[in-house]
Order: sequence, then C-alpha cells, then structure tokens
Amino acid sequence: MTEVVTRTVRLSSPPDTVDTVQDLLATIWAQTPGLDDADRMAAELAIVELAANVIEHANGGGDIAFSLSIVVFDDRIEATVTDSGSVERVNLDDRAMPESLAERGRGLPLMQMLSDSVEHHRVDGSNHWTVVRARRAASPRARRSMPSISIAGVIDEMARQRALDDMGILDTPPEERFDRVTRLAVQLFGVESAAVNMIDHDRQWSKSLTGRGSEELARSESMCTVTVQSDEALVVPDLLDDERFAEKAKPDLLRFYAGFPLYAPGGERIGAFCVYDSQPRHFSARETEMLRDLAAWVQQELTVSQELSRASEVQQGLLPQKLLSMPGWQIAGVCIPARAVGGDFYDWYPVGEGAAFTLADAMGKGIAASIIAATVRAVLRSAARFADVVGAVDAASAALSIDLDNAGVFVTAFHARLDMDSGTLTYVDAGHGLSIVSRADGSSQRLTSTAPPLGVDPETEWTQQTVDLDPGDTLIVVSDGVLDLYDGTLASLDNLVALAMLAQDPWEMIAAIRARARGFSADDVTVLIVRRDDAN
Amino acid sequence: MDITVVHHPFGVAEVTVAGRLNMVTAARLREAIQGAVDDHHPNAAVDLSRVVFLDSSGLGALIASLKAVRAAGGDLRLVAPAEQAQLVLELTNMSSVLASFDSVDAAFPHD
Repeated sequence: MTEVVTRTVRLSSPPDTVDTVQDLLATIWAQTPGLDDADRMAAELAIVELAANVIEHANGGGDIAFSLSIVVFDDRIEATVTDSGSVERVNLDDRAMPESLAERGRGLPLMQMLSDSVEHHRVDGSNHWTVVRARRAASPRARRSMPSISIAGVIDEMARQRALDDMGILDTPPEERFDRVTRLAVQLFGVESAAVNMIDHDRQWSKSLTGRGSEELARSESMCTVTVQSDEALVVPDLLDDERFAEKAKPDLLRFYAGFPLYAPGGERIGAFCVYDSQPRHFSARETEMLRDLAAWVQQELTVSQELSRASEVQQGLLPQKLLSMPGWQIAGVCIPARAVGGDFYDWYPVGEGAAFTLADAMGKGIAASIIAATVRAVLRSAARFADVVGAVDAASAALSIDLDNAGVFVTAFHARLDMDSGTLTYVDAGHGLSIVSRADGSSQRLTSTAPPLGVDPETEWTQQTVDLDPGDTLIVVSDGVLDLYDGTLASLDNLVALAMLAQDPWEMIAAIRARARGFSADDVTVLIVRRDDAN
Repeated sequence: MDITVVHHPFGVAEVTVAGRLNMVTAARLREAIQGAVDDHHPNAAVDLSRVVFLDSSGLGALIASLKAVRAAGGDLRLVAPAEQAQLVLELTNMSSVLASFDSVDAAFPHD
C-alpha cells in the first residue's frame, strides 16, 4: 500500500469552519487525480459530517481546537480528527436515520453509511475519531484488513508526534555531533548525501544534512516517512524501479535511498538516519550493517540530548523560584549555563529579619560540575538553618570536603546574610572574589577575599566580613563567565558598576547581561543582584 | 455559496443555490426562503443544479424551510439536484419528501 498524499492541519473554531475543512480537501483532491468520483464524494461528506459534529458538539458549541489528518492511500482514504472536547456519549452503533421531517440527526448515520470503518477513542483527555473509506477499486483483501491498520497507524502517528515534540529537537541549530556522522556516512559509502531527518506533522525536517537536499520537505515527498513505519532498514537501490516509490524519485537528487529508523527514548519512531544518491546503487548486506551502526551512533547522541534537556530542567528548578518579599529591597538573579547544565548556581531564602544569599561556581562545566553544584547548594541551605554565616560555611566545608576531595574539584562561593532593616551584609567569600558594591554616589567597593575555595583545604579557618548597604547601593555578585562577556579581566566589574548606575532596577541589569550572553557562552554566566531602594 | 431569489407568478420563488450548502451556509438558505415567504411567495422551487456539496446541515435547512413554506400554505420542491446532492437525498431517504423536478415550471406547473 502506497501513501499518496498526507495532510495534517490544526484548526480552531471559530474562525475555522467546515469550509476550511472543505478547502483543504479541495487541495488534496487536486493532488489525487486518480481518485474515483464516488470515493471522493463519499469521503468528503463523511469527513465534513465528522468535522461538523466536532465543531458543534465537542465543546458544547463553544470554541474548539482540533487537528485533522487526512491520508490518501492507493487503497483507502483515512481521516483522523483529534479534539480536546469533553467526553460525550458516543453511540456509533445507532445508524438509523431520524423520522423524515426531523431537521437534525442525519450527520453521524450518513458518516457511517459512507465509511467502511468509524472509530472513536478517548485517549489522554482527547477524542480521536477515525474514518476510513476504502477506495472501490481496491482489492477486497485490503478492505478486510483495514480497521486494525488504520487505528494502529493513527496511534503510532500520535505517539510519534508527542515524543518528537517532547524531545525539543525540532528547529534547533545544526550540531557538530550529528554533522560528523552524516559527513562520515557520505565518505564511507561514497554517496552524495546523508541526513538525520525527523518526521514532524506534515513535513520532514533535517537535524543534520551533508550533501544535497533541503532542510525541510513536504512529508508526501519524504522517503524517511516510509522508514519510520517499521523497525527495519528501508533500502531502495533504484526508486524508479520500484512502483511504490517511483513518484518520489528526483533527478539529480534521489534515485537510491537507504535509511534506518531513529527512536525517541520511549521507543517511538520519530525519524530516520539515511543516505541517498542521484544514481541507482547496489547496497550490500554489509553496508546495511554499517548503516545500522551509524544509525545507532546518531541514536545515542539523540538520547544524550534528551537526558541533558531533562537534567537542564531539573537544574533550573533548583534556582530560587520565589521572589523574596523584602520591603525596601530589590533582588534578582540569573543563571545561564554554557551547556545544558552547568556548575554555577545562585540561591536565596528568607532567614530571620532578612535573607541569605549564595552564588557559587563549581570547577568545570557540564554534568560533572552540575552534580557538585547541586550538592553544595543543598549542604549550604541546610547548614544555614542552624548557624550564622561563618558557621554555615564551616559546616558546609566540613560536610563537603571528602566529596570534593574524591571528585578532585573545588568550588568558589559567596555566601551572605542581609539584615534588611540595618542594611548590614555579613558574608564569607570562599575564593570567589567577584562581588562589588556599587554606591549611590557612583563609587564602588570590591569585596575582596583571601580565603581559599571550598574543597582546597579542610582546615581553613573561615572568617566573616561585613559591609553596609545604604539606600541606593547595589550589591553585584557574578561568576567568572560574566567577565568573559566584557574584557575577561577584573576590570569588567567596572562595567557592571556602570550598568548598575544606568539601570532602573536589577531586572533591567539582568536583561542587559542576558542579551550580552546570547550566542556567546564559553562559560556559565551567573549573576545575583541585591539593590537597596533610594531614600525618599 | 451564492443564493439568488427570483419571484415568479402564483407565489413561486425560484431559489438558486450555488456552491456548498453546509453547516456554514445552511442558515442563509433558511433566511432566503423565509424572506420569500414573507414576500408572499410561499412556493419555493429550490434549484440545486449548481450545488457542489450538500451535507446533513444543508439538508436540515431544506427540511426546516419545507415546514415553513407549508405553514404558509405553500410547498418546497427541488429543481435538478446535482449528482452529490442527489446522492445525499437518496442515502437519507429524503427524495420522496423533497421531490425533485427538471425545471421550475415542472415543479410548480401553472394549471
């Protein structure tokens, strides 16, 4: 069975109506000249009745959003409507027409009459309706096996789309870790092109493409759309020689194709790794095995990205989610990791008549550093509940020393406590040294440090220092990644002081730093700002 | 969809529908025929020869209009339904209730 045309659209009513659906159908019919008039009329009426029913009833007549997928195969036409409407009592067995002068109630019976299969499923809070019309020219065997194929196909399609959306890979920039595999494939097999393709709604999108072709392609033209339908390799030595695919052949681009499906972490087939060429080509069993190995490599990279993006969400969740409510004070922070996760963090929480603040930077970048950072955060948080500033750092240092020693890393940290009434900030700086107070009069004061980072010397005697924040003063604590946004030296702190003078509030400073960090992230960039309101 | 209404003698309104007669346009057909009834033309000859698509909503409008014209002492008859409309009338067993004729004159002969 060959897929001729596939279209998927998202609609919402209002403004969309059954006219929108019929306009879409008109474009599909224009692409399927071989479709018999009787099949076309029957399918159109059945689909319009289905859409009208959803528009009218799925949300009790209120606004409704739904998606419509239509696939024309050479033996059947399938339409699936997915809506998020409430569950209505669906009785698809009642096929009787109402009495002759009734004005309503003929839609669903008509739909039944014109279709060979109508199914309704309630999955994850959505209604999924599938209507299948067998094309009358098709063989009886194809018609018999239809409903199961159709529903399996629809469920596959839904699962694939959701898994792909969850991965967050669509429309992301090219990445070397994928590009190196497609480059290698082109060299290894001596083909013109290789690609990592994802199958999204009605298009194919290339995460990586070496050689010819376009990054985006209509799904009806895509070979990988066929590959994702099974777990097997799809190898077509000459498309023109295979009636299933002859229509997809393109001179100067596509005569030979070989592809392997790619999977989401949950096992859904979301795309394919493929090689192709403008010339027909033999592809040996050994080459198929090599292609499988390369696909497995791409697969591993995909899995890593997925795990990293999860880790990234978790790490962002460890940053303070709540604003501190401190009358007379404004507090803001940002943490932009260079990779998905990083070794920096900032933290704040109310303590007594004020708040505790931390900014720390674990040596290194990426996952290893992020594990250490999360540990430091937890230990400091719990220690801060029972001790003063120096006590908390002391307790954290003692608790962490073995872990940090084992990991062979150290952590620079600034930990402080602010008395919000007096403005006195008590702090311990463990080898961090990137804190500065921008004064209301335009002067500034660096908070220097001679203490080592956590993890260097378990015998360190920590000492706390104090600084007074007067009305109009701003405390700025940053990680060293922020220096790289300027000239990379400590003089960069002067840029931050200037920024503090210019900005209306801490959030404006954060926005400015964030804008500067965009697309330029050699190191994690973390900023914590505490500003005392001007005296009135 | 386009609807044109032409008044004929003996209270006959020739209502010509072109395009899709569906959920979107059904109400307009009812309004057009109600307008003719209000203008004392309760005999509706509804020309469906240029209807490319009729669905259950369009059919519902025809039945509602049939009831309206009958209440005003008239009748509603179809003229030359196109292929798809004819199919819908047959599938729903409505071809006997909504009778079809070849022309307006055949639908409402002036005896």
